Amino acid sequence: MVFNSIHFVAFFALVYAVYRLLGHRAQNVWLLAASYYFYAVWDWRFTGLLAASTLVSFGAGRALGRADVRASRGRSLRVLWAALGFLLAVLGFFKYAGFFVDSAVWAFSSIGIDVGRPALAIILPLGISFYTFMAMAYVVDVYRGELAPVASLTDYALFVAYFPHLVAGPILRAPALMPQFAAPRTIRASDWSTGAWLIATGLFKKIVVADNLSPMVDAVFAPAFPAAGGDVLIATYAFALQIYGDFAGYSDMARGISQLLGIELNVNFRFPYAVTNPREFWRHWHISLSTWLRDYLYKPLGGSRRGAWATNRNLLITMVLGGLWHGAAWSFVLWGAYQGVWLIAHRGYEALRGTGRRVSRVASIGAWLVTLHLVCYGWLLFRARSFGQIRSMSWALLTDWRISPEVVPEIRTLIGFALPLVLLHAYEWWKDDLLAVPKLPLLPRYLVYGALFYLILLFGSFGGAQFIYFQF
Amino acid sequence: MPGSSWRLAVRRLLVAALVLGGEFAAFEAFLRWQGGSEAAPAFQQLFMPDDAIGYRLRPGQSVVFTTREFSTPIAINAEGVRDLEIPSKPAGERRIVVLGDSLVLAVQVPREQTFCARLQDRLNAAAPAGVRYRVINAGVQGYGPVEELLFYRRVASRFEADVVLVVTFVANDAVEAYDAAWRLDGARHPTVAARDETERTVRRWTRRSMVLQVARQRIEQLRDRAGATAAPSRPVASYLVAPPAFITDGIGVATRALRTLVTDARAAGARPAIALMPARFQVDPAEYERLRSATEPIAGPIRLDAATERFTAAVAPLGVPTVDLLPALRQAPHGQFFAETVHLTAAGHETVAAALEAFLRREHLLDLPAATPPSPSPAATAAGP
Repeated sequence: MVFNSIHFVAFFALVYAVYRLLGHRAQNVWLLAASYYFYAVWDWRFTGLLAASTLVSFGAGRALGRADVRASRGRSLRVLWAALGFLLAVLGFFKYAGFFVDSAVWAFSSIGIDVGRPALAIILPLGISFYTFMAMAYVVDVYRGELAPVASLTDYALFVAYFPHLVAGPILRAPALMPQFAAPRTIRASDWSTGAWLIATGLFKKIVVADNLSPMVDAVFAPAFPAAGGDVLIATYAFALQIYGDFAGYSDMARGISQLLGIELNVNFRFPYAVTNPREFWRHWHISLSTWLRDYLYKPLGGSRRGAWATNRNLLITMVLGGLWHGAAWSFVLWGAYQGVWLIAHRGYEALRGTGRRVSRVASIGAWLVTLHLVCYGWLLFRARSFGQIRSMSWALLTDWRISPEVVPEIRTLIGFALPLVLLHAYEWWKDDLLAVPKLPLLPRYLVYGALFYLILLFGSFGGAQFIYFQF
Repeated sequence: MPGSSWRLAVRRLLVAALVLGGEFAAFEAFLRWQGGSEAAPAFQQLFMPDDAIGYRLRPGQSVVFTTREFSTPIAINAEGVRDLEIPSKPAGERRIVVLGDSLVLAVQVPREQTFCARLQDRLNAAAPAGVRYRVINAGVQGYGPVEELLFYRRVASRFEADVVLVVTFVANDAVEAYDAAWRLDGARHPTVAARDETERTVRRWTRRSMVLQVARQRIEQLRDRAGATAAPSRPVASYLVAPPAFITDGIGVATRALRTLVTDARAAGARPAIALMPARFQVDPAEYERLRSATEPIAGPIRLDAATERFTAAVAPLGVPTVDLLPALRQAPHGQFFAETVHLTAAGHETVAAALEAFLRREHLLDLPAATPPSPSPAATAAGP
């Protein structure tokens, strides 16, 4: 059940109508039941896995909160690793078993040893990467003493399974969300206007921008298509917009839906293509994942506290694992490594140049253009389906600047669908406010609302396409 | 205060209405400038009102119709058909007038690539000395058997046809005949007439606005996806194993119109013939499967060739040579129809032209004397590839 489906509209209308009639505790139970139904619509068998991850992390949190466990560092560590071990084992089995087995088979066969190919047909449970990371973060926060164990199993289960974020994020953090579940909620008129705006912009990003650019991207990235360099460039720009529209669109809709319920979710994207270096990019793209990786991987590895080499190593490990989080494929590993190397190179550049120097406007524009194109090249690595395709497309980018006749009309498609999004974000960026439009005076505000309505109506793809990030 | 909040609400509503109205006009203008739809003025200019038929092609009109899949120059001659000018028939010329709907008009391809033009080329390539063939495209978008009869009487009967070939689109001709039955009978009940008039006015306005056309498509898409429709779209009902009454009644009306047309054509000295045109999904198993899975849960089982079989059975008693174009299109390679419309590609037109040529020769419809009625064909004959 995707947000841009009639099924979801009917589901949410019912959930919302009942929700408004209930008291606070009953609202939580109702939202929990709705969340499990939402998940079961995809595949009811995996609700057990969701429940198991919830119970294990909740139990670990409770155990870590007990005085006798807290008193013993050894016992605390055993509880922590037992919970993390379970969660990582579940994630590892369902998401990565096939990948590692295939890689091992390939490695053996490359040195002449035939070990056969075991038949693994493991279904990837929807949203497992998101809710597993949330559960792990909760256990670690309690272990560190940064968060008191949650007393109510209902509230905790709702935190893990809360349907607006369940299948494609954002990755929520207990300190931000649990207080909102624990206290009675008031839904104000501003929640309605903000929620409706976020849902509308999310829908626009998804069904107008992402879904309309998808056929062009698929065509150029099809293995049989003899893509020239110009084709690759255009398709990569289009994919940069597609993946942004798809993922930021989902995040916006998740935030908007949650806002209607009176629950505020964190911002996940903040003008990621307007940044001037890779560090800024990761502070603006998929913010909930990059902050998770920073807090629960990069910093525990030592962060930047142990000298340049250790910092670079930690960056590389973090970004490679971050790449692998996106999918069990070597292309994602390569993409992660690319991001890591780029971050390291940027650190080196800053060390040489020195920080705090005043940067001219021209230099800023140059840095923005370079960053944008390096981000886009990263998307090429991300979207390509084989190393061979990465090699041929990269070579075409360097040596062949032709544009195939069948791709020429797609330039108009790209510009046409990018333009409204760029104009909207340019205004929000200028105001430095993602909710700048709902704050406009009545007439200009309604003009934007009306334009969004007609753009969705006239140019939206109403086929109910899936979201790219569901596969993660 | 209640008074001020009421005034605020009214003010907001007024602003919203003004904004929506203004932007409607702006998007309408943009879409018209962009083109690509039958609602575009360039396309709508092709048609003019007609008291008897409802509408017909506007004589002398010339436009270029462009969509994502094609860009086609369309010229309507002085007689009101998409063809070259039609002078008095010279000696030695044999004329075949082809009546039908959009599948005959074929705005998706240049005139030279339509099956009418290709059939003419094929016949002339093997014509006996002193004989030239002229195949006249008398198709009009949206026509059904009733309108085809009326159009023949009003316009095409002047073309001095030796053969009148009616191309019946089996997918929607029953529905269109059912809707136009009153034109055959002369008058409608006042209540029905008022309701139909309202529906037609809404449809006419919708057709005139590209924004409204897209909005209608979106509503239909959403209704389909929600499974909210209690019945499939009306043309699909032609393929139901147990069709609703309007389909069986519509086939009855269609047969009545065709019988009258056959009589009129024979009276004018022409030989009548019928070609049954299949729907795109009848030659595309994947598309049929999608249609089947969407239709059967709400309307019961469908059968791939049900509409063709029904029309074959319905026209058999007319005693007119009939060809089913389905086998020829089914045996042809993939790509006989466009992806985004249900119409024939240039390759599809070539396939149909070849099938019709074989049919005309097999049924001796090209033989002289034109005034002699051919021996009736007992049933439809399948065209070979």
